[in-house]
Amino acid sequence: MLVIVAKLVARRLLAAVPILLVVSALLFCVLRLLPVDPAAMSLPTTATIAEIEAKRREMGLDRPLPEQYLIWLSDALHGNFGRSIQFGREAGSLVAATLPATIQLAGAAMVLAAIFGLGGGLLLFHLRGTWFEAVTDIVSILLLSIPEFLWGLILLFVFGVALHALPFTGAVSPNLPQPHVTGFLLIDALLVGRLDVFASAFRHLILPALALGLAFSPAIMRVLRSSLFDVYHEDYIQQARLRGLSERQILLGHALKNAALPTLTLAGVQFGILFSGTLLVEVIYSYPGMGNLMVDAVRNADLPLIEAIGLTYCVAVLLINTVVDSLYVVLNPKLRVR
Amino acid sequence: MAGSLAHALRSPRVLLALAMVLGLGVCAIFAGFIAPHDPGEQNLLSILTPPAWAPDGDPSFLLGTDSLGRDVLSRLIYGARTAMLVAVFASFGAMIIGTILAHIAGYFGGAVDWIIGRLVDVWMSFPPVILSLILMVGLGVGLDRVILAIVLVDWTRFCRVLRSEVLIVRRHDYVAAARLLGFSHWQTIVREILPATLPLLITLFSLEMAIAVVVEAILSFVGLGVGPNQAAWGQMIADARQYVYQSPWNLLLPIFAIFFAVAAFNLLGDGLRRTLDVRLAQAER
Repeated sequence: MLVIVAKLVARRLLAAVPILLVVSALLFCVLRLLPVDPAAMSLPTTATIAEIEAKRREMGLDRPLPEQYLIWLSDALHGNFGRSIQFGREAGSLVAATLPATIQLAGAAMVLAAIFGLGGGLLLFHLRGTWFEAVTDIVSILLLSIPEFLWGLILLFVFGVALHALPFTGAVSPNLPQPHVTGFLLIDALLVGRLDVFASAFRHLILPALALGLAFSPAIMRVLRSSLFDVYHEDYIQQARLRGLSERQILLGHALKNAALPTLTLAGVQFGILFSGTLLVEVIYSYPGMGNLMVDAVRNADLPLIEAIGLTYCVAVLLINTVVDSLYVVLNPKLRVR
Repeated sequence: MAGSLAHALRSPRVLLALAMVLGLGVCAIFAGFIAPHDPGEQNLLSILTPPAWAPDGDPSFLLGTDSLGRDVLSRLIYGARTAMLVAVFASFGAMIIGTILAHIAGYFGGAVDWIIGRLVDVWMSFPPVILSLILMVGLGVGLDRVILAIVLVDWTRFCRVLRSEVLIVRRHDYVAAARLLGFSHWQTIVREILPATLPLLITLFSLEMAIAVVVEAILSFVGLGVGPNQAAWGQMIADARQYVYQSPWNLLLPIFAIFFAVAAFNLLGDGLRRTLDVRLAQAER
């Protein structure tokens, strides 16, 4: 079993390599074809044409595009994405400094989305056939119409501004120290034994995570409900009923396990999108993650940084898809045969 | 097709959605007549005034003003124009590219299908938000650029779904019969396959309009959207976010506007899906 999963993961990762190569080439080309000159941008505005030309040669910009790409790729494989134009620091190290905060946010949001999705799906299914069904149906479409970006603003307004219940800027109160061990603030606070920092970081995480969780749960809810409908048409549900199992036992013991598979496929896709959805939520809550860094880089046309962050998002999404695919095999015995 | 459209028009869900879309359309088309002020006109003497019914409200600014003294109601109405322009043209562009590639891939199969399939895979491994931001860096701000960026990002949504539909339709006997009658490949696709995929196409188009509204709002919110000279809901939110304590209305109104537009297109898409999708409609009847 474990071997099969390991093999599958390895195969998936191998399949992701060509995709990643093409993606990186595409990213590189799009950004090189832009009407911005990275050489001119990395020099002060007083630089002469000759100085810019020298810089262009130094950066390899005078060579043909495929050659430039190969140079960039070999550097990138060594973790060297070049220097950020606006910060003057290694783009790779900037990404590494902000990635943990984004992973922490995305992780918390995924847990919330799964809980809401599962709970909501079961509730929707439970209400089938009652007059509530039509109402919940409309409500779930309306909920689907609220993207994470609007949830972020709504929650910020209700719990931050109107009720003063929760903080809505940054990752931790500005008067508290930010311990740095692993980069994951919640874990680091515990490692250095600062419970006050942990509590503050936790409170700062609630609203952004909730915004993402609420935005991504309705789709999971609806798929779970419709897969439960499909499963209830199967003979084994009727058999379970004839054996005298209670409706509750049938739902939780038999139907849910089988309905989980299509739900998981969708949840995988959703989690991939959720990871990139952190970008806007981070901007709204001034949360110091990769998304905020990306918007900063994009506004300043900071090409090395954009390339580094863009590639990191793609890798993250491919990884999430791989994990979900393997989970699928773990849960679905039919796929384990080979 | 005409029969199922008539059937769709009897669904209360579709009717409600159409009414909402119509309302937005009227705002968009007749913005110049409806809006009480020029959306860019600044009244620096009356900035951040509350709505007219509030104690300090000014009756000439029905929904108050923003941080530059611009009329919020007028900006909302002109914002609807921006949102609808983007929704219609971006969805249309994405639909054209996606539909053509999907039909080519699904109809011819083989190497063409493989290449288009891999292209979609690569495209979809870019998270849409990230890809559109990167494209906006290259394209620069402006209404036409936003539309182009959305087309370049979202054609895959049409392509992937429609391709599998074409694969199914292609196997029908009437398609083979058309070929035997001497129809060219092009004639077969346009006259036999396209009519069969049309219901799905219409549904996808409606859902894509909802997505386009959100993407436009997001790009305008981060300042890479339609540009400062055009009123956009995303921009209004970004502006109001800074003055949320002074004038909460300025934040809530554009949020509601976006929600209204997205809900209208999603309801329409869902209603059309239920009534136009032959298989689903039969299963539910």
